[in-house]
Amino acid sequence: MTPMERLSAVATGKPVDRLPVFCNLLDQGARALGMGIEEYYRSGASVAEAQLRMQRRWGHDNVWALFYVGKEAELLGCRKMVFAEDGPPNVGEWVIRTPEDIHRLQVPTDLADHPAFAETLRCARLLRAEVGGKVPICVYVTSSVTLPAILMGMEAWLGLLLTGPAELRDELLAKCSALVQAEIAAYRAAGADIILYSIPFASPDFLPERLCRSLALPWAARDLAPGGLAGIVYYVGTARMEGMAAEARRQIGVEAFYPSPRDDLRRLRAELGPSPLVAGVLNDIELVRWEPDRIRAEVKALVDALDGGPALFGTMLMPLAVPERSIAVMLEAAYACARRERA
Amino acid sequence: MLEATQDYFEAIHDTDRTGALRAVDEALARGLRPEDVLFQVVLPAIERIRGPEGQACASSLAQQYMAAVIAAELTERMVPLFRSAPAVSCRVVMGNSRGDFHGLGRRIVVGCLRAMLMEVVDLGLNVAPEAFVDAAVSSGARVIGISSMMDHTARGEGGCRAVRRLLQERGLEGTIRLAVGGAPYRFDPEMYRAVGADVWAPDGLSAGQLIARLARGEAA
Ligand code: B12
Repeated sequence: MTPMERLSAVATGKPVDRLPVFCNLLDQGARALGMGIEEYYRSGASVAEAQLRMQRRWGHDNVWALFYVGKEAELLGCRKMVFAEDGPPNVGEWVIRTPEDIHRLQVPTDLADHPAFAETLRCARLLRAEVGGKVPICVYVTSSVTLPAILMGMEAWLGLLLTGPAELRDELLAKCSALVQAEIAAYRAAGADIILYSIPFASPDFLPERLCRSLALPWAARDLAPGGLAGIVYYVGTARMEGMAAEARRQIGVEAFYPSPRDDLRRLRAELGPSPLVAGVLNDIELVRWEPDRIRAEVKALVDALDGGPALFGTMLMPLAVPERSIAVMLEAAYACARRERA
Repeated sequence: MLEATQDYFEAIHDTDRTGALRAVDEALARGLRPEDVLFQVVLPAIERIRGPEGQACASSLAQQYMAAVIAAELTERMVPLFRSAPAVSCRVVMGNSRGDFHGLGRRIVVGCLRAMLMEVVDLGLNVAPEAFVDAAVSSGARVIGISSMMDHTARGEGGCRAVRRLLQERGLEGTIRLAVGGAPYRFDPEMYRAVGADVWAPDGLSAGQLIARLARGEAA
């Protein structure tokens, strides 16, 4: 089976040779090409090339057209990214410093030829040309209710979100939502299959349940309504989604969930029922220090907990510090444990 | 329990800033002393939001943020009104490790410490290892707290490891303790050892309590 056939079969309840295995390698691409991280992220061709090489080498079931999350701040005018040699870059300046900045914020509606997005879309198109229809092409979109964190900082955003003024908050959310909708449309046009929709602010770890229900999820519904739900995977940034996942499904209609390693998968399955796709996500920060036997045991426990409905195996945003031999052990174990009898 | 204690807690719990400040203002108007506002209203709310020690903090980040940030504001307002100036117990240096631009966790910890009448030297974002040690030496701090949101800023050479090495080189290990926190430590509760820290805490409110204890020279 190709990775795409495997994923489609799992999602529609058909027999598979094994569960899909997603391995989220991003900055590792720079190493694969022997480049520095800043140089690497200058070109969509580099990112596509590295994604393809890594997928061929490791055999996992997805490739990424994601550079780094700060790109979305660049789309809204951020000009300072702080690069590191041992990890992902960070937004290094706030686009929004005053209420005026919110009024002034310009949201590009057509991203197809936006300079800050050109390389990302080029990467997606190159991936489509090479493996389109065979390996799921993944992209990442930050929800409207989360995006302000990288435009004004978490602290200022939490302040505005919780204490208002509500009109200013909603003005910003409406602009962010317009960007999310434009991103989704542009990514789909460029060939994206899977859209990881990131909404940590709908986690009960972040906001009291009342606000998850009355603010975060209604904005999520608004982000996703125009483009529809094809390929949307609901992700709360590896914060926990338990307790709010069924509500998200009810309000938004999503049918695929990428939880936290700290969610209890059996409880989550009980909450969601048997039909949605649920990922079992390995804690790849601990993977940095786990010995092979421990890795195998953790992978097995995770896959065992995935019974009861459509499922896949996945990682978080794997740190560069994870040794290659640990990635190899993890993937071998995942391929073995995830094997299924084809009916 | 004072009426204000319950009202204030409920407002913080509902992330209602206006309600929390109203509870305090009403209590002051009824004659409650500023000392009691701090020790009987504000600090107990931090403890209740944190929940029982030894268990995971059950409140959301938003509630922790409210409890800590409003506590710091009210401390600043109340302390000048105390009958006698409180003895500032000890000093703490806080900052985000080099390359790390995620300040919210640090701000929550700092807010708590200030409400506990600790003096905090807050170095802000993206702090070099030498700057942590220099600030601790010049201010006489007994604890350095380092916040990191990413794996590489926690584990990398610009963070706690380097601070530990500097403390060793300068013979300061006996006097200055190291506390760490942030997302990666929550995913790997053993990581604090690997980076050479003395302690870590999983949330801002327990971090405040833990660091305050360390700074007073008590075992963590
Ligand atoms: C929300 C979130 C985001 C949001 C907003 C980020 C932001 N803050 O600006 C978005 C979606 C934009 C985002 C983006 C990214 N993220 Co992010 N994100 C998260 C998430 C869900 C929560 C982080 C957070 O803000 N928590 C709130 C703060 C206040 O909590 P905290 O820092 O843990 O602090 C608490 C305690 O730890 C403690 N504490 C904090 N400091 C200290 C200090 C001391 C001394 C003590 C004792 C205690 C203490 O008290 C605090 C309050 O309770 C985590 C996953 C998770 N479940 O934690 C991932 C996570 C932190 N992100 C991660 C990554 C990699 C990123 C990116 C770099 C991805 C990329 N490749 O671009 C970008 C960076 C964006 C940028 N800034 O440019 C990784 C980091 C691990 C790693 N692999 O390196 C995580 C862990 C996700 C994962 N599981 O892989 N992210």
